[in-house]
Amino acid sequence: MKKLAALIVLLACAPVALASSSATPGVSAKEVVVGSSGPLSGEAAAAAGVLRGAEAYFKYVNGRGGVNGRKITFKYLDDAYDPSKTVENVRQLIQQDQVFALFGVVGTNSNLAIRDFTNAAKVPVVFSQSGATTFGKDYVKYPYTIGYLPPYAEEAEIYAKHILATNPKKAKIAVLYQSDDYGKDLLAGLRRGLGSKNAELLVKAVGYDPTTSDVQSQVADLKASGANTFMVFAFGKFAIQAVVYANKLGWKPSLYINDVASATAIMQLMPQSTVQGAISIAFGKDPATPKWANDPGTKLAGQIIKKYVPGGNPKDGFLIAGMASAYSFADALKKAGKNLTREGLMKAVTNMNEPANPFLLPGIKVHTTPKFRFPVTQVSLQRWQKGHWVLFGGLQSARP
Amino acid sequence: MRPTLAAKWVAVVAGTAIVIALPFVVSQFRAVQLATVAVYFIAIVGLDILTGYSGQISLGHGALMAVGGYTTGILMTHHGWPDLATIPVAALVGGAVGVAVGIPALRLHGLYLALATFGVAVALPTILKKFDHFTGGSTGLSLFSHLTGHGVGVTILGHRLTNNDWLYALTWSIAIPLFLLAWWLVSSAFGRSIRAVRDNELAAAASGVNRATYKVAAFGVSAAYAGVAGALYAVVSTFVNPDTFPITLSLYLLVGAVVGGYGSIWGAALGALLIQFLDDIVDVLPGIDPKQAGPRTFFFGAVLVVVMIVLPLLTRLTNRVYTRS
Repeated sequence: MKKLAALIVLLACAPVALASSSATPGVSAKEVVVGSSGPLSGEAAAAAGVLRGAEAYFKYVNGRGGVNGRKITFKYLDDAYDPSKTVENVRQLIQQDQVFALFGVVGTNSNLAIRDFTNAAKVPVVFSQSGATTFGKDYVKYPYTIGYLPPYAEEAEIYAKHILATNPKKAKIAVLYQSDDYGKDLLAGLRRGLGSKNAELLVKAVGYDPTTSDVQSQVADLKASGANTFMVFAFGKFAIQAVVYANKLGWKPSLYINDVASATAIMQLMPQSTVQGAISIAFGKDPATPKWANDPGTKLAGQIIKKYVPGGNPKDGFLIAGMASAYSFADALKKAGKNLTREGLMKAVTNMNEPANPFLLPGIKVHTTPKFRFPVTQVSLQRWQKGHWVLFGGLQSARP
Repeated sequence: MRPTLAAKWVAVVAGTAIVIALPFVVSQFRAVQLATVAVYFIAIVGLDILTGYSGQISLGHGALMAVGGYTTGILMTHHGWPDLATIPVAALVGGAVGVAVGIPALRLHGLYLALATFGVAVALPTILKKFDHFTGGSTGLSLFSHLTGHGVGVTILGHRLTNNDWLYALTWSIAIPLFLLAWWLVSSAFGRSIRAVRDNELAAAASGVNRATYKVAAFGVSAAYAGVAGALYAVVSTFVNPDTFPITLSLYLLVGAVVGGYGSIWGAALGALLIQFLDDIVDVLPGIDPKQAGPRTFFFGAVLVVVMIVLPLLTRLTNRVYTRS
């Protein structure tokens, strides 16, 4: 009898769902359903702001009539920065929720994990929150995938050039990097940028696993190398720990903090005496920077956050970063036209020509071609001074 | 009064009929979820042989699944094996690791054994990351390019199956024979011997049952089941990394085994369904926003507690009804 009960539950748990067979999944005359996955909980939860910011921007667009008469419905799920969970989420979004496309999936490993599956299913995965070179470069094998962030390798090359220009004789560089494609891309870019000086200047590089609990021993190792320059190629709490431990150990190196960890909200959690003068790059407008206090782009972002992100901090850089990519996505949707197809969207995102994204630094062009799939390839250096970032040196190219 | 043999056969036939019929009525997404249910089903049946029948508690079955999953992953990505061929190897490797764990486990009883196996589950992800040239580290291994049907679909005897239907057919056509095998095992001399060892080691030894052999054999058989489950899990999720087999998986498997009726393989399907659909049950609760992690985690725990209280009551109730009739 026990097993009969079990079988009844088995039947009850399998709701009957009729397969829908419209031309393009997730698209109707009035709506387009877009999915995503990212760390809403766990170690990297700060990055959830990117998804919430994008969602707020879509709501703002919907409030103004949507794109080509369609409202954007944005459905995103929590993967806690765990790629195996991302696979599950994406499967659910595509097969159950019938999304038209995926947008802004967070994390290099997560995007790597879903790439085969989404390309086999021919579902676009666009403007992913990763700057790993492979997402821009390997389009022949993965035509339905495109990233958004400036390529990590070129970011690190810019840091290398900055060191060669400012302290080529005495710099002794120590690197903390996340041991996945994201951290390794940055490290490789740094080495390439240092060129013949690599062996001389780079004294130690230590990796950490993204699922580890802390990086204390790695930082102690790096300090012991006698380095005076510290590259933090780490994300979220690991970046914070890196600087906190350096401070605890009484290590005062010149700091370089990679872009994905350089949000003002994260920087403010670090010991300010150690982080003063740190260098990073920027491509989005940081609402916490006084320079942008009266900028129309950050003002608009502030209004959108106030209206659509309950309890959201208008100075949260992750929210505005999400809006920047959401702006580009809405732009691509519009270009993809009234008769929206997945192929049409891919055509639009690989023919971007967006001269003035209000949430990006003035002068940055979001530009792609079918053979050049790196949407943002201009950045500016910035220096942390008295609690906020100050841009310097003007825009530079980060083209691979 | 225990269910009769005829009643058991009726259940097997009815269960098989339901398994065959389901793909015609459920959505594609449910089909792949139910394929995962088959994976949990196999693992729970295996765990029941060890924990329920031989009385050795394992909190490390997720790690044994990982052994199977990585066997499949490594053979497919590094050696180009087709997915199906890796499944028997995963069973063998899983079984061998099970025996290797089972021998030292002879010296441990009850909670001590549970904690030792838990230790294996805790340590395994770190070991997997350490040998990253082999296991892909935390990035993991993508099995996609060597999957049967390449994730698009499979044609069998002229019938075109979608990928999800294929995964469903694959997992359940392995799960049902493995269940029958387990049924035969637990009702054979082997089953009687391990139960005798569980109930009273001294009495069993006095009746001529070699305690050590049977305990280790139970570990081996159970781990071989976990190995197959892990291999299929890897194939279904197209991807393995250390987080594919978290510590919570080991705990859930034990929860599934207990829910399904400790010491009986007949409720394994119920336990497997619970593990798979608990998330979905939480999501339909009013006021749960899937975009907010906190309350969801809380209710996940709460639902688990309620289920553990209510289900044994239900089981007792159905048993009573059955006994009266």
